Amino acid sequence: MWEQIQINKRNSILLLTGMALFLMALGYVLGSAIGGPKAGWLGIIIATAVWFILTIISFTSGDQILLASSRAVPVDANVHPQLFNVVEEMSIAAGLPKIPKIYIINDQAPNAFATGRSPQTASVAATAGLLARLNRDELQGVMAHEISHIVHRDILYVTLAGVMLGSIVLLSQTFLRGAYYSSLSNRRYSSGGRQSSGGQALFFVLAVVLSILAPLFAQLFYFALSRRREYLADAGAVRLTRYPEGLASALEKISSTGISMESANAVTAPMYIVNPFRGKNAARLLSTHPPVEERIRILRRMSQGISYRDYEESYRQVTNRSGIIPPSALKDEPAAPRTPSVPPAPPPNPFQVNRQIGDLMRKVNGFTFLPCSCGITMKIPPNFPAPKAQCPRCGQIHTLRSQ
Amino acid sequence: MITLEMDGVEADYCLACRGIWLDSGELEQLLQDTERARRLLESFQPAQGLQEEPRPCPICRKKMEKVSVGPQSCLVTLDRCPKGHGLWFDRGELEIVLQLGRFDPEEKIPAFLGKMFTSPQTKDNSDNP
Repeated sequence: MWEQIQINKRNSILLLTGMALFLMALGYVLGSAIGGPKAGWLGIIIATAVWFILTIISFTSGDQILLASSRAVPVDANVHPQLFNVVEEMSIAAGLPKIPKIYIINDQAPNAFATGRSPQTASVAATAGLLARLNRDELQGVMAHEISHIVHRDILYVTLAGVMLGSIVLLSQTFLRGAYYSSLSNRRYSSGGRQSSGGQALFFVLAVVLSILAPLFAQLFYFALSRRREYLADAGAVRLTRYPEGLASALEKISSTGISMESANAVTAPMYIVNPFRGKNAARLLSTHPPVEERIRILRRMSQGISYRDYEESYRQVTNRSGIIPPSALKDEPAAPRTPSVPPAPPPNPFQVNRQIGDLMRKVNGFTFLPCSCGITMKIPPNFPAPKAQCPRCGQIHTLRSQ
Repeated sequence: MITLEMDGVEADYCLACRGIWLDSGELEQLLQDTERARRLLESFQPAQGLQEEPRPCPICRKKMEKVSVGPQSCLVTLDRCPKGHGLWFDRGELEIVLQLGRFDPEEKIPAFLGKMFTSPQTKDNSDNP
């Protein structure tokens, strides 16, 4: 897998260089248009400073920005002990130097992603909808996929690209709005003097150029986050869990839920294990995620063994394409799959799933759960004003945990 | 407002005023019958000529609309979120609504609510409104 790690490191450097060149060109054009050729150099200096700040931000807190924009909340083991248990288990299996920080996203749609700068500073996030729907084997498959992204260093590139492209989108929108409002005010209040028309024409051209460039950059980002990355993380997950059916069945559940994620956006969408958009929004992102049915078919064909070589074999048979696994990884030792750890169970009904999602989100948001001996469970919000609560059924008085 | 759960059925309950909030979908769960719940929900009429202050929806804080249900002689007024987040029943209203409309011949809900709110204190208070 070292080839993939190298590719990701190289892509990260290319991305940073590309961003620097783009900003410098922009700074030069802006500077020379406003104050002549000498000011163009000043523009470059300012652009370099902006790039420097952006780079520092993406390295130090890029993961935090992406997590916050996905509305992910850091949780402790009490909120979902099984998730912690599974992440710990898979981190040890993958030989991560540190167990990733664990986040839960308040969203009904099932999905998950990983982010961070390095295996030492990685985070994984799962939605409440995912945790309520998957059994242990399936959750293990999804977390192993995310941890494979961490091991392959996909997370560094995705985090850098996310922050850089997010800021380009922001810039282009600022310019577009600026151009729009300045044209409005011009029409309405200006006498149509010629002095300002040069500056405004420039503004317009910039706005147009940026608004064309921004989606192009976004597309580049999507292509760079190629399907290959997802296949490799699937192959890694199978090796970690030794149980291809777990991930296959999880992917099936995730993709068969027809709910779009509310907390995902165009910049964060490629990070997720399965495209978070459904319906008409899904098509424009088709290039970022390989077809889920294909990924499931590859996994289900792996009945003989769980090594990279077995995945490669199955991939070739399903897709009729040449291989996908880097040559160094094909030398790994063959191993047999394990048996399921959870007995097959009927799918939970939608009410149960909603109840579990609700309870999970209450725990994430700091609610206290008080089971009363009379059979009722009281769920008390963190801002409950009184130190004690009386059970409305049996009258028993419960003391809330002191703050 | 706290949430109460018993035997897999959930309701939000105000300890101060003893009103009950049902999220959208929870009535169906209480009735264990989506068809019956749909009929009940469709029988709601916008309430007219009321001076009551509108309550904010506990989820979106938008002003809820007053709806009435039941025969003219015994009209009950409820609060419904205009965005469809759920329904607010003042103290005792949920039982009345369900008994009025005979929407629950097996009495699942009164039985559940009876089970949930049978504390002596609750009974005492319901005698002097």
